[in-house]
Amino acid sequence: MALDSAPVLEAKNISVEFGGLKAVEDVSFDIPDRSVVSLIGPNGAGKTTFFNVLTGLYKPTSGFVIYNDEDITGVVPHKIAEKGLARTFQNIRLFGLMTAEENVMVAMHSHLKAGIIGTIIGTRQQRREEREAREEARALLTFVGIGKTATEFARNLSYGDQRRLEVARALALRPKVLLLDEPTAGMNPQESAVFVDFVHKVRDEKNLAVLLIEHDMSVVMKVSERITVLDRGMKIAEGSPAEIKSNPRVIEAYLGKSAEVNN
Amino acid sequence: MAILTRKKSASKKRKAPASQRTWSIGFLTLAVAIYIFYTYIVPHSPQGFQDQIQTWFPPSALNEALVWVIAALGLNIVVGYAGLLDLGFVAFWAIGGYTAGWFMSGFFYQLNIHFGSESPKHFPGIHFSFWIVLLLGALICAFFGILIGAPTLRLKSDYLAIVTLGFGEIIPQVFVNGENIHGFNLSNGTKGISPVDNIGLFGKRLGPFDLNYKYMIFVFMAALMVFISLRLRSGRLGRAWLAIREDELAASMMGVPLMKTKLSAYAVGAISGGLAGVAYATHVNGIFAERFQFSISIILLAMVVLGGMGNVWGVMVGALLIAWVNSTGLPAVGNEINSTFNTNINFPSYTFLIFGGLLILMMLFRREGILPESRLKMVLHETDDEIRNEEPHEFISEEEAL
Amino acid sequence: MAGVTYKTRQLRRRYIERAFATIAVAGAALWLIANLIKSPTQFFEVTFTGLSNGILYALIALGYTLVYGIIELINFAHGDLFMLGGLFSAHFITLWFGQKVPSAVGWGVLALCLIAVMVFCATINVAIERFAYRRLRRAPKLAPLITAVGMSFILQFVGLRWNGSGQKIWPSLLPSGNLSIFGVRLPYTTIISFAITIPVLLVLTYIVTRTKQGKAMRATAQDQDASRLMGINVDRTISFTFGLGGALAGAAGLLFEQTRGLTSYNLGFQLGLIAFTAAVMGGIGNLQGAVLGAIIIGLIQGLNDGLPIGLGQQWSNTVVFSILILLMVFKPTGLLGKPTTEKV
Repeated sequence: MALDSAPVLEAKNISVEFGGLKAVEDVSFDIPDRSVVSLIGPNGAGKTTFFNVLTGLYKPTSGFVIYNDEDITGVVPHKIAEKGLARTFQNIRLFGLMTAEENVMVAMHSHLKAGIIGTIIGTRQQRREEREAREEARALLTFVGIGKTATEFARNLSYGDQRRLEVARALALRPKVLLLDEPTAGMNPQESAVFVDFVHKVRDEKNLAVLLIEHDMSVVMKVSERITVLDRGMKIAEGSPAEIKSNPRVIEAYLGKSAEVNN
Repeated sequence: MAILTRKKSASKKRKAPASQRTWSIGFLTLAVAIYIFYTYIVPHSPQGFQDQIQTWFPPSALNEALVWVIAALGLNIVVGYAGLLDLGFVAFWAIGGYTAGWFMSGFFYQLNIHFGSESPKHFPGIHFSFWIVLLLGALICAFFGILIGAPTLRLKSDYLAIVTLGFGEIIPQVFVNGENIHGFNLSNGTKGISPVDNIGLFGKRLGPFDLNYKYMIFVFMAALMVFISLRLRSGRLGRAWLAIREDELAASMMGVPLMKTKLSAYAVGAISGGLAGVAYATHVNGIFAERFQFSISIILLAMVVLGGMGNVWGVMVGALLIAWVNSTGLPAVGNEINSTFNTNINFPSYTFLIFGGLLILMMLFRREGILPESRLKMVLHETDDEIRNEEPHEFISEEEAL
Repeated sequence: MAGVTYKTRQLRRRYIERAFATIAVAGAALWLIANLIKSPTQFFEVTFTGLSNGILYALIALGYTLVYGIIELINFAHGDLFMLGGLFSAHFITLWFGQKVPSAVGWGVLALCLIAVMVFCATINVAIERFAYRRLRRAPKLAPLITAVGMSFILQFVGLRWNGSGQKIWPSLLPSGNLSIFGVRLPYTTIISFAITIPVLLVLTYIVTRTKQGKAMRATAQDQDASRLMGINVDRTISFTFGLGGALAGAAGLLFEQTRGLTSYNLGFQLGLIAFTAAVMGGIGNLQGAVLGAIIIGLIQGLNDGLPIGLGQQWSNTVVFSILILLMVFKPTGLLGKPTTEKV
């Protein structure tokens, strides 16, 4: 079982304070290699804040993050991305005025080597690098199912395609951990079901671990191998979908906030 | 905030950058045609025609416009590609100019160093060949670009604008006061440095009046900047710049190192400004500190805005247009109108109104420029009808929360 | 553990910053003491001049900081608004009301002018926001910034047409002469500047802290969407803010015109940038900070220009801008500003 493998990402005692407000309080969390885990909780529970700590956007007030046996607390976001931690965004943040394949190629920036002079002159090396990057980008677009849109502007794609593009772009980082922030927002039940299969496909074929923040309970239950629940910045439960579903504290946290719990 | 859903219209064929090739060929053809015109046709045409040409399209104005093009293309990389608002670009123009003043004149009369220059060996001063001075100007400006950029490029856009404005004021003021900096004469203060050496080209010595040859050189330099811009844009740096311009945060999370990338944009832009400065010094045969005013930075900005930020050809057209209007068009039109209608309006004094109005109108109504990249136009206008009744929607606004 | 290294990195940086700041302040103190010893009367007179410049900058800086605080826009045109205020005042007092010397009627006209110029500038500012900036509220930052630059040029054009390309000198209605204290000459005009400015600042403070509009301003500055949800008319509040800032610029214009007696179309650009530096120094968005920063900048500038041990007037711009740049690089939140926790 993937859950038994060594953790590829470990967050220990993460606390995040915004001038008096404790957004995240002493949360420890790890992601086993090649697993699919979810982070859930009512609104304002601190999930996105925690996400942002993992990806280097926020510095935690205390605690640290270990990735691949390396301390990455407080490391600059672009270096963390380079090391192989990729994410998508809750509100899609594509580069609208570039084409789909260009969007994906942006994420390859850290792998490519061409310098200013090389790009201007167009050395054989640089040309080859560009060609290969473009091929890899198209392959990724096809992998996520939007291969035909390669030369379209990201801004013009349909909502669903944009979500897929975000995943393709994240995958271009050749990540070991893929963080998806509310990936099924705005999807109908059929699309969500397709998405569940897609997550498993990504994990299997790209050999990585997936961490999702999700609100849609049916998706969470179907896709996750393990679920962690946050409430008001603290971890209140962690376990298999069956365990979480019947956990009284979890139910109370959700019902208390009158959020929907779909089964 | 959700992105609008768009139906793909299968019938629309997206134009590939074959348009780049069309523009390049058109540009070169036009450049050659203009050269032929001024070298062979005009001198053999009737006097009346020559006078008209001198009033409306004097070759010196054309050369000057080309210098503006070189600088504007540099600012285009900073503002248009990377989205960094630089209001002090005149600083690099000045530094480039003084590089020419130091290394291509009799300014440092205490020394006598000649290298590659056509100037007689007994002339005092440092005399490098024009081409070497171009290189020097580029290097010095790149150095200053990195020096200025390193601590400041991480600031957010409005702060960066002010800081660059500050440098745009400080550096010229240093040159204006530069006659006596602890006893060292850096710039000859307000007296300026003049004359500047002639350009050496295949054995010919090109002075300030060899306009036709200078034209070729300036066209070459402009073409070089166009080439550099387009090449960089098509590579990973160009993509990184556009990503930063659109959404800096997302770019960094996709592995784009913000500081390094911004610095590279700033340095390349600075190089361009330096080249323009050297060229301009040979054009007006001198470097005069009080010419380097804030208004130059704004005029360059107007050129980039008019041409469409990021659109190399548009910026070139915009720069030529604005430079011409500023140097020749406005006074000439003014004179015509004044003599026809017997009025006495001082047209050149309207430049403030024209530039200010231009910037505002472009931002309000035509942010993509007069000559947008054809694809950009399709993107920015196709959605107009759909969202006409909705609140103005920009792809990225800084308020977007995760 | 490595997590501790990150913390120590932060602490170390804080120590370095503090060390530099101490050295800078110590250096400044030494410079001041040296000048004081060298020539005490000159020192005090120059200080007083600097202070009087400072309160002028304060009026302008407040306009910048009010607008920036509420919509995060540097209104480049603000300095030029001040310049137009001066022009308006000059014409109002000297040409329309024919007052050329100090007199009882003169005081009446001054008071009338103060109100008129404040209305004048407030109206212009509100119009600028309404027709140029409002549309671009959600646009990427580059757009409103460029528009503001363009607007600055347009206002300078107006100044150019109205005042010509050079300076114009105007008679002042304020009593000339000095008050002499221990041999130090304090010009009456400066004392009157204080007398006018301080009530204006008090009224402003009252408006911002006690009135409903003021509360709406502060709420909108903190969170536009939340304010809207609470029933605050955000558009009207923003207009009000622009009006307030404009009025202050107008008052500053009148003050400058009467105390310095000159108008020039490019005055706004120069002084505007200095005032903006002051606003940043105090912490942009912070009203008391703007005043504090303005006084400090006025002092530094006056001291640099007038003191025996100083760089002199020709380096004035460089000194002020260098301060601005250093501030923005090392302490963008200013002296009193609250650090913006950027919520992503």
